[in-house]
Amino acid sequence: MSIRNLAIFAFGIVALGGVSGCRKNAGTVKADPLLAAYDSEPDWTDSTKMLPLGYQQAQGKRVFYQYCVWCHADATPAGPSNRSNLTPVPPLLNDGAALNTESDEFMQNIITLGGSAMGKSAMMPPYGRTLSAEEIRSVIAFTRAIAQPPYQPPGRPGSQYSAK
Amino acid sequence: MPAEEMGKVTDRMRFGLAVSSLLFVAVLAISPFKDYRREWKQYKRAYLRFAQTRPDTKRLTADYSPDIDQIWIPGMNVVDRCTTCHQGITQASLADNSAPQPFRAHPPIPHNVREWGCTICHRGQGPATEVAEAHESTLAWEQPALPTHFMQASCGTCHQSDLSETPQLVKGRQLLAALYCVGCHKLQGLERPAMLGPDLSSIGTKVSREWIYKWLKEPRTMVDKDGNVTVNGYETEEEPRMPKFRLSEDELKALSGYLSVQKAKSLAAYNISPAVVRSWSKNPELISQGELRFRQMFCSTCHSLAVTRAGETKLIGGNIGPELTKVGSKVNPDWLIAWLRDPEAYLPHTRMPRYGWSDEDLYKVTQYITTKLVDSDLLTSVPKLDPPTDQEVQLGRRLFTEKGCASCHAIEGISPQKDFGPGLSALGAKNASELEFGTAKIPHNLLSYIQAKLQDPVSVNPAARMPQYNWEPGDLDAVTTALLSMKGAPPTSALQNLVVPRKEASFQPTGSFAEVYERYKCYACHKFNGYGGDLAPDLTYEGSRAQRRWLVEFLKSPQTLRPTLILRMPQFNMSDKDATTLADYLSMVLEHPEVNPATIDTRQFTPAMATLGKQLYEVKYQCQSCHTIGGTGGYVGPNLSNAGGWLTPAWIEAWLENPQALVADTIEPHRNFTDEEIKALTAYLMTLKTGINAQKTAGISRGRPLAPGAGR
Repeated sequence: MSIRNLAIFAFGIVALGGVSGCRKNAGTVKADPLLAAYDSEPDWTDSTKMLPLGYQQAQGKRVFYQYCVWCHADATPAGPSNRSNLTPVPPLLNDGAALNTESDEFMQNIITLGGSAMGKSAMMPPYGRTLSAEEIRSVIAFTRAIAQPPYQPPGRPGSQYSAK
Repeated sequence: MPAEEMGKVTDRMRFGLAVSSLLFVAVLAISPFKDYRREWKQYKRAYLRFAQTRPDTKRLTADYSPDIDQIWIPGMNVVDRCTTCHQGITQASLADNSAPQPFRAHPPIPHNVREWGCTICHRGQGPATEVAEAHESTLAWEQPALPTHFMQASCGTCHQSDLSETPQLVKGRQLLAALYCVGCHKLQGLERPAMLGPDLSSIGTKVSREWIYKWLKEPRTMVDKDGNVTVNGYETEEEPRMPKFRLSEDELKALSGYLSVQKAKSLAAYNISPAVVRSWSKNPELISQGELRFRQMFCSTCHSLAVTRAGETKLIGGNIGPELTKVGSKVNPDWLIAWLRDPEAYLPHTRMPRYGWSDEDLYKVTQYITTKLVDSDLLTSVPKLDPPTDQEVQLGRRLFTEKGCASCHAIEGISPQKDFGPGLSALGAKNASELEFGTAKIPHNLLSYIQAKLQDPVSVNPAARMPQYNWEPGDLDAVTTALLSMKGAPPTSALQNLVVPRKEASFQPTGSFAEVYERYKCYACHKFNGYGGDLAPDLTYEGSRAQRRWLVEFLKSPQTLRPTLILRMPQFNMSDKDATTLADYLSMVLEHPEVNPATIDTRQFTPAMATLGKQLYEVKYQCQSCHTIGGTGGYVGPNLSNAGGWLTPAWIEAWLENPQALVADTIEPHRNFTDEEIKALTAYLMTLKTGINAQKTAGISRGRPLAPGAGR
């Protein structure tokens, strides 16, 4: 066998080994975002659009539809909303213009302590003894998820790093 | 080669050997190189580089090791190496989306992910160390990771009692029960109820052969050209329980023939007093009076009707009983009268209550139903059918068993075939190789299989006997979730201990109360000690809540306490005796252990206290945002205009102290009232008294009648 043939053969093996060593399996399925979400909620301003919700946001949705929907939505599971009975009119939960500027801390406080404690309407009752702090956090997470215009978290610059 | 040159090493050979040795070393080096390049090692190094870019590098790398990480939980079949790549799952600072996968923290859930591992919830292969092998189903691995949308299935594997955190699973379980899947399939945690579909022993006295033919061909459901599911032509949210069986023309004729001769109990026709008929039959008000009575009795609480308002037709009313828009063209008028008088005589186990009818009401309402709730075109597509021949009846009888009708419907002389369909109690644990995909072009995994089978049973098995259901997208996913959750008995004792069993609630009253309770089917809408429907308030503590006198009045003439409701307590035309029997039992037996109405003396409430209470109600706490008094206030909570005539002071005090202690999921906020405020508010509320007057209803839209868990 000539050296040349031997060399070609050897390089072939090396190349084969190298290629198989570099095999990548990163081709994970590009899933439907709703399939990768725990739950979803229609965009209140466009019911054809579904917004994906994570676990915490989904728990917030559940708490919202039990406790908050009566005054903070236009339609309720039992029919008409109670909003029109109230002055000042409570904001819709997806009202980004009104709620995006409020900090998570403020939201946590007004739900926990009620409107009068935070200098707002006494018609907003305190829920700190009814809901757990975790449940209240989840409602805020849900609020942020459905906000229109969309909510941008303050502060922390997004990391430019990507895994691969 | 000459002999003298043997053994002599030429330069040429030397060179060859050198090259091949070098190559050999290079080939040997491939192995460590390949090892270095292994997928999980790349993620390990990537995590280190990533941690350098974060401010809390030290914390992020505190328990870093360059090796495979593993969560091993003996006894639970957990060997999860997922944390080898998913290294940040418990790092709080990696919770938001700025952290790239696979390093992002796991969102907060009720279980500690380090204690439970990953595959218990996410499925997939725990021991695998490559992305594809861990997450997808490959030839060697059969459990793909479950899409998050169906994750609640994993909760349900252990939590067989319902959790509020998993609405999709709960809905799926309810659908499995409501659609009577247990008729044919064994399902984990679902008992076969006493009655599934209606008993058909005497169906021949109720409907015609033509109607049966049409029903079997298209059981109410029709899909119009736009793909909307309609019931008798109206849009609906409800799916009829009866699915569509794929029956040929001959089979339709035979089955309808067989069913039309089922007259086990002959119809005992009731003759309405001729005097009533004489005085009303010519009265032009007859039909409108019948309709008024139909509404006043609140038949719509259980039955829906298609109503056209502002050019839009939709079903309005409840779904405990069947939809009635065209029932006048369906049932035999004599049967209708006999049925309304005594439903159980025709159908044991029915949830239809026995009303106290006067002949006049009975005549008016049945005339309204048979004149107005009709559709002359209902049976136009049905061919002419003569009385069935013996041959047809014989064939029909055979088909009744073969098609699985007997699994849900009783007929005298036919016993249901045991385990007609395959058991599904361990369906969620099946591997792809155990499933038949036929020629269906779907991914070969369990999730796709279940969805394909539910949507179109013959798509995966052309010989399937399973009938055709029409699914709302949400319903299909909910049922899929519930089925995926059923993984059979846990394989190890450690896992068996984790199962949270479903609580079986029952309420078995005795004595004269039981008879009245059973006659009016109180449990169809109300809950008692956890047993019963959830349409109306839970009555477990009603004796502590409501004054006995109010209960008697209410039962005789029910009026809603929530003005927006359209589904209300029916007007049973209850006798004094029945109302007293019920009220006595409620007041004496259904009491909260801590709330005893007898302990509060109402004389302690002074006008000054009531004045203070009114101030607290209106100014400090602004209760009017949710409650109405007189004509003003919100309608989230009950109308309190008659609080003093309705509630016991003991209940009001206990309620203000801590509403959730009385009704666990009530939406009334738990406030921090002082004892003095509680007394003042109670004193004020006890001054509010009106007669029980009719209150106007606002709103016509259909929906759940109560805020979930609302006190009343």
